[in-house]
Amino acid sequence: MGYLTATVQSLYTTLRESLRTPSTIEYPKVKRVRAPRIRASFALTRDAQGDENCIGCKKCEKVCPSEVIAVTMAKKPSPVTTKARGYATDFTLNLQACIVCELCVQVCPTDAIIMVKDQEKPGYEREDLTLTMDRLYRNGESKERWAWSNATILGEHQKPPEAPKPPAPAVAAAPAAAPAPVPAPEKKEGA
Amino acid sequence: MMENPWISGLVYSAVLVTVLMTAIAWISWFERKVAGRMQSRLGPTLVGPFGLFQPLADALKALQKEGIVPKDADPFLYRFAPPLTMALALGTAAVIPFTPHFLGSDLDIGVLYALALSGMMAFPIWIASWASNNKYALIGGMRMVAQGISYEIPMVLAALVPVVLSGSLSLGDIVEYQHVNGWFVLWPPGVGLGAFMLFFTTALAEGNRIPFDIPEAESELVAGPTTEYTAINWTIFAASEYGHSVITSALASTLFLGGWSGPWLPPLAWMVIKTSVLFVTITWIRWSLLRLRSDQLMALCWKYLVPFALMLLLVAGIWTHVRP
Repeated sequence: MGYLTATVQSLYTTLRESLRTPSTIEYPKVKRVRAPRIRASFALTRDAQGDENCIGCKKCEKVCPSEVIAVTMAKKPSPVTTKARGYATDFTLNLQACIVCELCVQVCPTDAIIMVKDQEKPGYEREDLTLTMDRLYRNGESKERWAWSNATILGEHQKPPEAPKPPAPAVAAAPAAAPAPVPAPEKKEGA
Repeated sequence: MMENPWISGLVYSAVLVTVLMTAIAWISWFERKVAGRMQSRLGPTLVGPFGLFQPLADALKALQKEGIVPKDADPFLYRFAPPLTMALALGTAAVIPFTPHFLGSDLDIGVLYALALSGMMAFPIWIASWASNNKYALIGGMRMVAQGISYEIPMVLAALVPVVLSGSLSLGDIVEYQHVNGWFVLWPPGVGLGAFMLFFTTALAEGNRIPFDIPEAESELVAGPTTEYTAINWTIFAASEYGHSVITSALASTLFLGGWSGPWLPPLAWMVIKTSVLFVTITWIRWSLLRLRSDQLMALCWKYLVPFALMLLLVAGIWTHVRP
């Protein structure tokens, strides 16, 4: 009897599905609306004077879990302020192994590397999937392509909630009842 | 000129084969569309409007491809099997009364002829699997023979019910009888419906359709007997499987659903409607159910379907004596 009900159930399922609108989107004709906060590829940014934001600190290279970022750094005078500062002389990001975890964006101290909304086009060669420094700066040229996040914004989001100040009389009144420091576990919960 | 049986036979078979082959081509399109909709997809859309020219594209592709004969295969039998399958699948159509007059040959033993051809379908597939010299093909072929011979028995017993009730082995007479006395699926109550369900189920098994497609079982046997086949040889196999399904649907509607008989519409339209409904049901079942295991398949046949068929036949025999 179980077989019979199972048969009827599966027949009913396929019948119900066949009466629904197919969920296929015919891609070249119809394009799906992307989520407004999509983050697809990477870019390097310049500041308001047109100077490169990247100081070549290699934090992104170190944090990258799949080790796809390679940065070489040199000190030279800035064309804007004429003061010597760090620059990335070469910056490559290999998309072949990138897992798009956005950690490089999160650690950047100068908001230099950010994510952009547009996906990279598929390519015919391996080199097509390597984001060179030129390509990264070209990606960052128009601000409309920038995704919503950068290191500052993400840092705001991830800042632990401020620990409530322990009221002074309570600490004085009951030190024996709660010997463990109160703010520490709260902080952990907040993070 | 049409009085000459040779000429009329040739004309009739040419028309019938052309119509059937065209129908089979677009049935493959239809099945893919239905499968797509059942899986919340669209099916073929790109070739022509609604993908309607997809069968032509498939046929062109199959014709262009290289027909490989494996090194250790038996070349003659290997090439001989696909056309034989197709001939057996289409040969059944000769006795099916699509209209009262448009009939290839109203054999006195039409039911026997149709069932015999249908039962012989196991042979070309066995030939193909043997000639391929491939272990998966061979296992598939053995399963096909075991299944075909087992399910032949309840199928024949189910087909005997209308024969007993109408007292004739001629398909034309069976339809005439239903035209006068009502369809067998409705009358006598229960017996006809049971026999129809039984015939339909066993016909699925005969035609290697899911849930009885263990000879093909692509998860275990690559493609069963057709593993080594490529290009147009394979296409002929696939087409004959569709052809067999269509012809079996037509046979079931002739035996149990009254064939061409029906109100308002012309007889041919009724036949086409009934056959299409049955074929759509076959497609629907195909994309809904899971494949039975080998032992489940045999248990279903010998433990349930054969006794059930014998019981139906007994009731039908009694009915012919006690009915007013």
